[in-house]
Amino acid sequence: MTILSIEHSFNAMGGPCRLRLDVTDERIGREAIAGAEAEVQRLEQKYSRYTNDSLTSRINQAAGSGQAVTIDNETACLLQYADTAWRASDGRFDLTSGVLHRCWDFRSSCLPSQQRVAETLQLVGWQHVIWDSTSITLPLAGMEIDFGGCVKEYAVDRLAALLESFDIRASMIDLAGDLAVRGIPQSGYWPVGIRHPGHRDRPLAGIHMMGGALASSGDYERCMLVNGVRYGHILHPCTGWPVQDAPVAVSVLAPQCLVAGSSSTIAMLMPAEDSRQWLQSLGLPWLLVDAQLNCWGTLAQKRE
Amino acid sequence: MEINMKTKKLNPTLMALTSSALTLLASQNVTADAPPDQAEVGVRYGKYIEDDIGTDKTLNSRSSDRYDIDVTQFHLLTPVGDNWSLGIDAQWEDMSGASPWYTGDSTSGDAKVIMSGASIKDTRKEVGVTTRYYFDRGNLGINYTNSDENDYESDALSLDGSFNSEDGMRTYSAAISMSNDDIKPTVGRVQTNTLKEEKDIRSVWFGVSQIVNQNSLVQFGLGYTNREGFLTDPYKARDKRPDERNEWVFSAGYRHFFDTQDAALHFDFRYFQDDWDIVSHTVEAAWVQNIGESLQLTPFVRYYTQDEADFFSVVAKTNQKYYSDDYRLSAYGAFSGGLKATYDIGNWTLVASGERYQSDGRFGMFDYTKAPGSVNFWRYNLGFDYRF
Repeated sequence: MTILSIEHSFNAMGGPCRLRLDVTDERIGREAIAGAEAEVQRLEQKYSRYTNDSLTSRINQAAGSGQAVTIDNETACLLQYADTAWRASDGRFDLTSGVLHRCWDFRSSCLPSQQRVAETLQLVGWQHVIWDSTSITLPLAGMEIDFGGCVKEYAVDRLAALLESFDIRASMIDLAGDLAVRGIPQSGYWPVGIRHPGHRDRPLAGIHMMGGALASSGDYERCMLVNGVRYGHILHPCTGWPVQDAPVAVSVLAPQCLVAGSSSTIAMLMPAEDSRQWLQSLGLPWLLVDAQLNCWGTLAQKRE
Repeated sequence: MEINMKTKKLNPTLMALTSSALTLLASQNVTADAPPDQAEVGVRYGKYIEDDIGTDKTLNSRSSDRYDIDVTQFHLLTPVGDNWSLGIDAQWEDMSGASPWYTGDSTSGDAKVIMSGASIKDTRKEVGVTTRYYFDRGNLGINYTNSDENDYESDALSLDGSFNSEDGMRTYSAAISMSNDDIKPTVGRVQTNTLKEEKDIRSVWFGVSQIVNQNSLVQFGLGYTNREGFLTDPYKARDKRPDERNEWVFSAGYRHFFDTQDAALHFDFRYFQDDWDIVSHTVEAAWVQNIGESLQLTPFVRYYTQDEADFFSVVAKTNQKYYSDDYRLSAYGAFSGGLKATYDIGNWTLVASGERYQSDGRFGMFDYTKAPGSVNFWRYNLGFDYRF
């Protein structure tokens, strides 16, 4: 039986996406790819912040009106997940933190005033959101939620589940850097490179994946130096400021991309030393790059 | 570099995230319709016993047995391949007893009935076959049912389908059915008013059910039935009905699950109207209580009320074009209540239920003249399902 490798690239979820499938029947492979791309588009349209008629936009437009926005079961489960991550991270993982970027301009090399940050911070806080399994209300005008912190990872997990329903020997899903692999490809393993934060083309670590999901967070490129202090673009929802001495990149490997993604996001919001401890205690394979570009973690130790 | 995934004790944060992620991923596969994943056989035995009619209700002042029916039901449902299921339903009914033959004025001035006298005995056998096709967002079924007894034979064909909305929160259902019935009354039981007749029944139904939230659901239905042919009761002495009847029905239901009680409330309403001028309302409430993992107790109450047919009178006016003294066409109300219990043990489910029904003209919401033939009954059911 000949095994065909089919590859398909497209742009979605804010970056380049790639699907690679090992199949014995090309027709099935093409069908699976079409189904997978349609699913990514469905999620992007539903949760995008940039289209006016998306669910996210409707929720945000209703902020402060007192009007509850009806949500479906899928969204309710996403909110439940976000709630779990918020609780597990002492408020670091927060779907409402996006508005903080209104007062930060990372191209300007100017810090916002503390007063401006404090004002914006009033609109942040998952604890203010009123939600249940059928509806959500943002109580303050100007509040926003952004599913960006979990919908891409969720999409990866959804695709992995979707591809299971096709007769596919092995698959790799890569949605703008968050990925999942299933099955053993012809080469025996899936080679996955974690990019070096300082050198775009140089892999920091190469992993041979045979299952599971990998998600990364990083802000090496989007940061600014003011008076010799580095300010990363990831802002702490409780202070409105970047965390001092935070890592510049974190990657986590987990059975579900959602778990890998929120773990790496949460780890980015602690001083690198605390972050290392937290990741170590989590028990998942991890890789952390600190501001001095030192690599840490279970995925870094065995560097070739 | 190979990864060495050491087994470690799960950290509580990781457990919380993983569990929540798996809930999210698992919740999204509920919309696909699939055939049952196991075959199921079920057997039910039921008894329907009408109260005797009292001496004060009969013209000859004799108490009489009314109808008793023994019902034995069998059903089999099995998946066929990935997308189909096959169901077979069979039913035997042994009927015996007497029914009101006609109503007349007594010397005291009250209307009283004459029963059909000697005990009627008949057996009805019904066999139905259903095949159903399941697709991602719904299913389509086709059913053929034949019902046969000494004096009656019916062939019915129906098509039905249901379709789920993209988010799985709403289900549309529709059904269409037709039946062709032959009526050959057994002469000798009582004097019959015909020897051989036919009737056709055609009906359509449309329904929507909407999941309101995790704990509640509403459903609405709209139906229309057309009957054409011999609609008269052949065993009644004074009965002549129009040869067409058009019926409309509207139904609404609400289901609410209470987490803390581990129970569900079912509330249903039904409105019926036909062109014989009958209007009826049914209200039913049931409390489905789970007790532990395997026991479920469902007490229920039902209220029914109807207005009489335009050609009904307690003592039939046989000089009119259409006439009937059948208590089932009179204005009356009925209360019924009962208890249903199911118990699961492994692959078995045991089912038992009991119900009491009482009807009377004065229970109803409409003006009435009391029909002496009104009926009260007990109904019991016992059975099991086995999955394999």
